[in-house]
Amino acid sequence: MDRLSDVLTAISHPTRRVIIGQLANGPARFLEIAKPHDTALNAVTKHLKMLERAGLIERERRGREVLISFRGEPLREVAGWVHEYERFWNERLDQFQQYFRDKKKKGKK
Amino acid sequence: MENSKKTLEFKLERTIPASVSEVFDGWLDPKIPGNPWNAAEKFLLDPKVDGLFYWALKGTSHYGRFTEVERPTRIQHTWVSPKTLGKESTVTVTFEKKEEDTLMTLVHSDLPDHELARGHEKGWSYFLETFSEQFGTGSRKEYRWDEAHPAVTK
Repeated sequence: MDRLSDVLTAISHPTRRVIIGQLANGPARFLEIAKPHDTALNAVTKHLKMLERAGLIERERRGREVLISFRGEPLREVAGWVHEYERFWNERLDQFQQYFRDKKKKGKK
Repeated sequence: MENSKKTLEFKLERTIPASVSEVFDGWLDPKIPGNPWNAAEKFLLDPKVDGLFYWALKGTSHYGRFTEVERPTRIQHTWVSPKTLGKESTVTVTFEKKEEDTLMTLVHSDLPDHELARGHEKGWSYFLETFSEQFGTGSRKEYRWDEAHPAVTK
């Protein structure tokens, strides 16, 4: 999957959105994040893995503790996508441009 | 659903490494990757003024009517799909020589500013506000899903 898809998948689940909300208030330890959720700890671990894959959180070891913090940058990418057609045309134009780039490269060979 | 009369517009640009004529023709050639017809599972295409097009992808149909076809500089057509709520939006594509390449500009305008298309933007804006508060002024705001996503009537 591409980065945008990873981010959209990551924020498509209500629990993960709540986790983002929790972490927007500042870094937290795993058990602090899991506490308000009425779900198994391994489910929270899976949610965190998806958020990590999308680049929305990062883990930092501080002594014996691991602090999990939020990273906002990938959401800026998503914020640029305000309309389905904007994304549609961007993808189409990228493909169109790539076709001509490849054609030019082949022509030079 | 109550629909606003406001419309949306966005503009995209790409520099294409080919002549203006090649790029213009490529945009209307279903065999060339990247144009809308190339992606379609089924299409009809009659690229002349008042000619019609149709294309379908993943069960969604798109229809349009060419309003301007000026080879090799400009193509304009209407664009109707479920996302435009059956209204005619407008796609204008222009091709301009830029040294050895072509500057291609696509403007999609007259898109109905309805909640189906914009609902998620409110969510993103809320996230960004929360983050700028977090990283900018340092003030903290509790995340509330209902606040981030005002009621969307379906």
